[in-house]
Amino acid sequence: MSEVRIRFDNVGKRYGRLWALRGADLTFVKGEVVMLIGPNASGKTTLIKCLLGLVRSTEGRISVDGKVIGNDPGYRRSIGYMPQISQFPTALTVGQLLDMMKDVRGLDDSALDDSLVDELGMRAHMDKRLGTLSGGTRQKVSAVLAFRSRPQILVMDEPTAGLDPISARRVLKEAGALRDSGGTVLITSHLMEEVESLADRVAYLEDGHLRFLLPVKEILELTGTQRLANAIPAMLGGPLKEADPVHHV
Amino acid sequence: MFKVFKYTLIDLARNRFVLGYALLMLLVAQGLFVVEGDPAKALISLVQVVLTLVPLITLVFTVVYLYDSLEFTQLLAVQPIGRRSILAGQLLALSSALLVAQAFGLGLPLLVHTPDLPALILSLSGSGLVLVFAALGALIALKQREKARGVGVALFIWFLFVLVYDALLMWLMFAFSDHPIEPLVVPLAGINPVDLARIMVMLQIDLAAMMGYSGAVYKNFFGSTIGMGVAGSILLLWILIPTMIAFRVFQRKDL
Repeated sequence: MSEVRIRFDNVGKRYGRLWALRGADLTFVKGEVVMLIGPNASGKTTLIKCLLGLVRSTEGRISVDGKVIGNDPGYRRSIGYMPQISQFPTALTVGQLLDMMKDVRGLDDSALDDSLVDELGMRAHMDKRLGTLSGGTRQKVSAVLAFRSRPQILVMDEPTAGLDPISARRVLKEAGALRDSGGTVLITSHLMEEVESLADRVAYLEDGHLRFLLPVKEILELTGTQRLANAIPAMLGGPLKEADPVHHV
Repeated sequence: MFKVFKYTLIDLARNRFVLGYALLMLLVAQGLFVVEGDPAKALISLVQVVLTLVPLITLVFTVVYLYDSLEFTQLLAVQPIGRRSILAGQLLALSSALLVAQAFGLGLPLLVHTPDLPALILSLSGSGLVLVFAALGALIALKQREKARGVGVALFIWFLFVLVYDALLMWLMFAFSDHPIEPLVVPLAGINPVDLARIMVMLQIDLAAMMGYSGAVYKNFFGSTIGMGVAGSILLLWILIPTMIAFRVFQRKDL
């Protein structure tokens, strides 16, 4: 039995009268990649934000490595985050941003993993100001930041958005390597084809509720299909709504 | 906090708006000294410019900068540091950048043309206003979800403090001119940080004599050591209270 890394116990988040997430009971274990999918406003981002401490859950509790997360930000030492939108202080250089994050996390050089810096070709951009970079290059900076501190938990929100195919594949390969070394990776993506080969389990959320959290193999077996893009609608008992992400596959 | 402060300040040091603000203040201050010829007259004109421009620029810049930094603030908030450190670092850096710009644009011409006590009080009052309105700007940016709405609220606050409040005070004095309301006007003027700064500078320039009985009342109260202490304390409260509320809001805010 794999060791539990993250546990959500009946977690809910309400904005005014609207529950963005309700009754989320789920666990993520060490050494797995979980793909979070669902229509827009299904609760994926809220789930991630609750874990990251960006929003306070209205009810329930979240534990990381057995400790309930509260006001102490220390638990985030083990978390890397790659947001969907990469906006940085425009006048800082890439090198200054990397130094800033290293300082903020209290790391020394020996604790850093700079392999992505070279593999994504970021070495040549170190002295460039962030405001002069293209969206794709900023996304590469974001990927470097997420992996650089060798996190045990990696949260990636649409990680391939804006990246060229080669860089996207490189980033996902790195996520796989992190999983293989015992890390826990949570990925939200609308491009299921890109991440389905990487995912061990899939969590499907709808209207703030977790519909299922199952291993990819089991989903394929249950539905008798070869691809998640076909399996997910079958799991849900019919064609998905137009806004659903799997339609983009 | 220091780490966020350091890198935010590096970012702000290259910010075009901050550089533009420093140059604008330098042009205005130097221009007034050249045009007026008399440093004392130039200083009086400069008081009006400082009391109008500093709150406006500080409020709008703080609000816009914090809104534009929202995604980066989110990235900072998922690092192993407390939210207090993030906001303290950002607010301190914003205030420092504007204070340095002001020291260059306003302090330098004052030092060259009129290195005396009134000029020092004007510089200090301007600095106090930067701290007050940076704190208010942070509070506005944290309370309002939309940038346009935040800027609108900032402009409204500026309008209220710089124009409306004075107009109301004047109306009060005019409407109740038959009554001895000056003792009431002093604390009312003291509540507004812009008016407070104005009174402090005017008293040093000795323009209070031209303000009639009100000026005498101001001079009697704010001219004393206790009065100066009270004025300084009120300004400090104007810095501390919005800052503390901003910290409280940020601590609980869903990002």
